[in-house]
Amino acid sequence: MNLPAEIISVLLYALRVAVPLLCISIAHRCFRSLKLGKRKEEPVVVLEDASSRTVLPVLYWENSIGRSRSCDIVLHDPTVSRAHAVLMRRESGWLVTDTNSRAGTLVNGKKVKQDAPVFPGDTITVGSTALTLKRTADVGVAQPQSPPRRRAASPFHLMQLVVLVQFLLFVQACFAPAKPSLEPLVPFAALLVLEWGLYFYSMKILGRVSFELETLAFLLCSVGIMLLCGEGVKTTYTQLLGVAIGTVLYCFLIWFLGSPARVMRWRVAAGVLAMLLFAANLLLAKEHNGARNWITLGPFSLQPSELIKIAFILVGASTLDRLQTYKNLTGFIAFSAICMGALFLMRDFGTACVFFVTFLIIAFMRSGSLRTISLACSVAVLGAFLILKFKPYVAERFAAWRHVWSHVNDAGGYQQVRVLSYAATGGLFGVGLGKGCLKDVFAGDSDLVFGMLCEEQGLILALTVVLILAALASSARANATRSRSTLYSISACAAGGMLLFQTCLNVFGATDVLPLTGVTLPFISLGGSSMVSVWGLLAFLKANDERTYAARRRRS
Amino acid sequence: MKTTGFRSFILYLLVGAFLFGLGVFLYGLALDGGDWAVQPFNRHITGESQTAAEGRVLDRNGTVLAQTKDGRRVYGGDATTRRAMLHAVGDTRGYISTGVQHSFRSDLIGYNHVTGLTSPTGKTNGSDVQLTLDSGLCRLARQKLGSRNGAAAVYNYRTGELLCMVSTPDFDPQNPPKDLNTDKTGKYSGVYVNKVLSSALTPGSIFKLVTSACAIENIPDLDQRTWNCSGSVIINGNKITDLYAYGRLSFKNALAKSSNVAFSQIAVELGAGRMQAKANAMGFNRSFSLDGIPSAKSVYNVASASPDELAWSGVGQYTDLVNPYHMLVLMGAVANGGTPVMPYFIKRVAAPLGLEAKTGRAQAGPALLGAETARRLAEYMRYNVAHQYGDGLFPGLEVCAKTGTAQVSGRGDNCWMVGFSSRAETPLAFAVVVENSTQGSIASAGRLASALMVQAAKIQ
Repeated sequence: MNLPAEIISVLLYALRVAVPLLCISIAHRCFRSLKLGKRKEEPVVVLEDASSRTVLPVLYWENSIGRSRSCDIVLHDPTVSRAHAVLMRRESGWLVTDTNSRAGTLVNGKKVKQDAPVFPGDTITVGSTALTLKRTADVGVAQPQSPPRRRAASPFHLMQLVVLVQFLLFVQACFAPAKPSLEPLVPFAALLVLEWGLYFYSMKILGRVSFELETLAFLLCSVGIMLLCGEGVKTTYTQLLGVAIGTVLYCFLIWFLGSPARVMRWRVAAGVLAMLLFAANLLLAKEHNGARNWITLGPFSLQPSELIKIAFILVGASTLDRLQTYKNLTGFIAFSAICMGALFLMRDFGTACVFFVTFLIIAFMRSGSLRTISLACSVAVLGAFLILKFKPYVAERFAAWRHVWSHVNDAGGYQQVRVLSYAATGGLFGVGLGKGCLKDVFAGDSDLVFGMLCEEQGLILALTVVLILAALASSARANATRSRSTLYSISACAAGGMLLFQTCLNVFGATDVLPLTGVTLPFISLGGSSMVSVWGLLAFLKANDERTYAARRRRS
Repeated sequence: MKTTGFRSFILYLLVGAFLFGLGVFLYGLALDGGDWAVQPFNRHITGESQTAAEGRVLDRNGTVLAQTKDGRRVYGGDATTRRAMLHAVGDTRGYISTGVQHSFRSDLIGYNHVTGLTSPTGKTNGSDVQLTLDSGLCRLARQKLGSRNGAAAVYNYRTGELLCMVSTPDFDPQNPPKDLNTDKTGKYSGVYVNKVLSSALTPGSIFKLVTSACAIENIPDLDQRTWNCSGSVIINGNKITDLYAYGRLSFKNALAKSSNVAFSQIAVELGAGRMQAKANAMGFNRSFSLDGIPSAKSVYNVASASPDELAWSGVGQYTDLVNPYHMLVLMGAVANGGTPVMPYFIKRVAAPLGLEAKTGRAQAGPALLGAETARRLAEYMRYNVAHQYGDGLFPGLEVCAKTGTAQVSGRGDNCWMVGFSSRAETPLAFAVVVENSTQGSIASAGRLASALMVQAAKIQ
């Protein structure tokens, strides 16, 4: 019996117990901080009805004005259209936009169309109702005393904890090979540079107050990268490059999203770019494991569909005044149909499903029409039926679903039964980094990575990871009325939904709850393009947090 | 904005679906995690990077039946013992699905939900599984079966401990024959099947116990009645014969002589409905379980039988099939006043640190007979041995039993003997069957049962 080996084994086991507990604690504090950072529903300005002196609170950054009960500011005036105008706050101040009302909208007696500035004291006339914009303090509405704020965890402290997790994972990674080595120092150091670089850029240079989303993202990235490190340090280089490019894209997108008007101007360009990328993909890509979703540019291979996800959400989201003016979804439906058609030609069914669910979220949030949703679903079901009927090889891929144990050694269930077996092998705390066997199964570190996480790091950490992803989606929803524009609300819900649905497909595909489709687990799976795109999606969640764009105002 | 916020609830559908899916996975893991983990392809168990090894399988006396040495599975005892224990213990490759090494693989390997197959120290040695079986008794059964195919089971009907469970054909798991899977002559046909648990064979006259139970409950003057057994009877144009013309027989003598003439008429008199109901109540057409391993169903179905077929069914022919394990349970029921103590064969599963993960214990099964029926049936069965088979077979054991010789088309007979010792000191029940026999039931199954009961009575 080799005593030192056993002691090392026990110590590594202790680390595997510590890591998920730390992760749970970090995640808990981050989401608590996100919740505490949310503004309460208190009006900053009000509209005063000139004749009746009724005070209407203005609760949101974008407010629809109209007769319909679904409007944010409801006016009981028959001359007002159902959706008459939108009053919104932009960096320059309050603006009003007439949304094709019958009677028109006037500011101080002058008819206005779009983005007319409104200052406190100005009167907006809609139909026969005149509304005066006033500061809350001016109308004597007592500012409700906000209860003393509970202190959220400091972003710096949370990042320190993330570094601790990374260090514990790094120690495990050092012991992953048969002969312990210090090679994992490379990804560990690279992660430190990337995360602290972003931290100082965001907190010190841009002066933002929140860093929760980034903290969570780096936490997930480190779990993923260190897991891959168990296969060999070289595997992590792609991931690190993905994180590096991803954070740059993240910063760019947050800047880009800063002006809703700019986003609305560039939407068409983004859509065209997306379609060009698809066309390039279809022309250039060679078949790779049954799907044609890779194109090779020199030493790099990349998956265009990952980047198109970002464009897809950009095209789909919209500001409230646009939503109210152009109600139909035709353009977006056509664009979505092209995207999904291209994905089918590429035989990337998993990603097609991800796009479809994202489409449903955007379509519903834009139109609220259950008819559109059920129509889209019927078309999808019909499409799926036709594909299964005329392309039987597609059906074959799903033949083993829910009875993979009768396909232990054929393609139908080979991967799934190994995921289940090795995931169960790991128990709650795993067999140890680099000690797993699933990594030797095809796509073990990408499509089946959830099983690999269970096997090597244990069920608790794997569950923590996927629950963080689910909580990200929920937090996007919780911020939906607090954000600075419906553009952010819709895009964040779409991005959160996309991340969560992709998580569903990955985790449930690998564990035979759903058919195996082969999509990546956000932040964890091996794949540079996927990592870049996930950071891009995170930018939508960040833009949804109204604090993101607060700093600039505060400093001026 | 309000509307957008409201519509964002659609994300909760997705979150709900996600949590549901996660629940499905976790439920499966909690339920079947052990089975998932211990698959033969799992390289944590086999292969160089082995982290988990199977524990030992022991018999009731602590004799090692199987263990892992240097990464290889090694079977204990001499060749006859290894062959005798094959179906209870199982083979290395896991073909014998009812064997302990397959059914209790996750226990043997020491799987648990907290550490999975691993342990903080990195290596696990699995857990030992101790059986209630007596390898000596099984070896004796194997010896007595010789080259004949068949099955033998003995259990203690008070404690539920299964003492003997042997099935042939078999092979030595230590040295599996090279032609095991390639042989075309059929000499290994059914070699992976534990006949005690997984076979259903034509019962012949042991089925008369069911007909008797039905008669006891439905014919009030049964002991006053007589049947004229003249060697044969014609029912619905079909001739049913006996070995001899026994003359006029009372019921208990008809059972002792095992007169087909009498019992075929009794079955017809009782009718298909009553016969079917009684057979179902006595455990036909359903499965029993031995520590969670399901047994094959015994079959009795006279729903569409003509009178002559009903007659044949009453003497254990027609489409009748019985499972030896079911017969063992039924004997336990007769011995215990109608409700059996269910057999078990996992005595204990050891867990690390000297703890016990599982301990077998007596559990009552479903009531198969009424108490009065059981008492009278036991009386008739005791009379069989005392006046027909001879107590010399089971000296001092006061055995109640019934033999059977089932004709199987194209082959020799299935010779059966089922019964139990009615002495409180030796609460043992048995069911043995010898297939394709050219001898009578006493000479084949009787001798086997006799040897097993005499030996089993010595086990404490």
